[in-house]
Amino acid sequence: METCLSSPPAVSAFLDRFGSRMTSRMDSPPTKLRLVHERGELDTLLRDVAAGEQGALRELYSRTSAKLYGICLRLLGSANEAEEVLQETYLIVWRKASLFDPSRASPITWLAVLARNKALDRLRLRRLATEPIEAAAGIADESPAADILFEASQDRERLATCLDELDERNRTLIRAAFLDGASYPELAECEQVPLGTMKSWIRRSLLRLRGCLER
Amino acid sequence: MTDDPESEDLFAAEYALGLLSGDELARALSLARSDPDFRKEAGRWTSRLAPLLDEVAEAEPPQALWQRIAAQIDSEEAPSPTQIVSLRRRMNIWRAYGAAATALAASLAWLLVTRPPPPAPVPPTPAPMVASLSADGSPARLVATWNPDSRALLIAAAVAPAAAPGHAHQLWMIPVGGQPRPMGMMPKEGPMRAVLPAGIAGQLREGVTLAISIEPEGGSPTGLPTGPVIAAGKLIRT
Repeated sequence: METCLSSPPAVSAFLDRFGSRMTSRMDSPPTKLRLVHERGELDTLLRDVAAGEQGALRELYSRTSAKLYGICLRLLGSANEAEEVLQETYLIVWRKASLFDPSRASPITWLAVLARNKALDRLRLRRLATEPIEAAAGIADESPAADILFEASQDRERLATCLDELDERNRTLIRAAFLDGASYPELAECEQVPLGTMKSWIRRSLLRLRGCLER
Repeated sequence: MTDDPESEDLFAAEYALGLLSGDELARALSLARSDPDFRKEAGRWTSRLAPLLDEVAEAEPPQALWQRIAAQIDSEEAPSPTQIVSLRRRMNIWRAYGAAATALAASLAWLLVTRPPPPAPVPPTPAPMVASLSADGSPARLVATWNPDSRALLIAAAVAPAAAPGHAHQLWMIPVGGQPRPMGMMPKEGPMRAVLPAGIAGQLREGVTLAISIEPEGGSPTGLPTGPVIAAGKLIRT
């Protein structure tokens, strides 16, 4: 967020920060066959990791770390912190791989969400570190790793369809929050609207999104 | 335009997306600790938006990172008698001694039930440590976090110790079975932040007690606590 906030708040700064990456639509998924194949292999690797095979973790790391590192880097904007979170993430995978439930998420989604949640925890700590005592005392070190996914992850195409029902601006804002960890005040500043307006926009978008996804 | 739609209803969503800051974030974190429904709803929103993560560009982590991970795993590999404790290790320990522990244990249990983990080795972690500081008869409640890697100590008050005119609050470290050692004066206001010298840092280990006593301005003249201890707690691993 520094880029956006350290320069004069302007839509153009916002676009510099988020726009180029967010206006592109979701990358088309790999062909189904390849997806199934890879998924099966990652499934197996996670099972082996759960059984304590370090070689399996090594292989899992080599196949997935670039994806997870990209997620951490984007959220945190700092290579140092992204590395720390990535390390933390794979250590959790090592210890908690048995919690992976293939009926709820694909292995890569599970890993990606784990990395994203860890990075977001770090971001929250950073946010609260500048807060007065009372808020700082409320810092949670991290959310339990077990809470990663409570239900089957959303079908990718369905999500894309529902996001398309939002207008461009609101789509961009949802992405900025989820992928870049942008907070309400940061988004309000970047868009140069009052905080209340930003909250309204996003809450409406979330309600529409939920309505569409649950149809 | 009407009022904000169902703002409370979307609080978990706002938390899951990473939108919150300040008091709202503190409140959400507290809910995330104590309310399984809140956690579940936040997890549901994360699941809904999880496919967005597909579009994040990959980035190669530094070569040395895997070695660091492998080294950490190796160093933890030796089974320890703290395996049961370590099960809780990754849970939120800030208030794990209180009722929140139950909620967290329940949330972990949710997944343990759906898929019981094999008895894989569960090594201890060199993660940061925390201590929850309180004392009978004293309203003060503080939380200490100790990061051995960066040697950074942070002590923040949930309920600040009452100011005593002419007196100050002094921090002590009490090694297991040892004498209290002075660690400096608490600031009059705001959290205490310090980067500790290596000599002291090496002694701040799990089980060590941190305590705060009321002392004359400038600290105890004897090098040992002379006034009442208003808050104390042991360091535990997160």
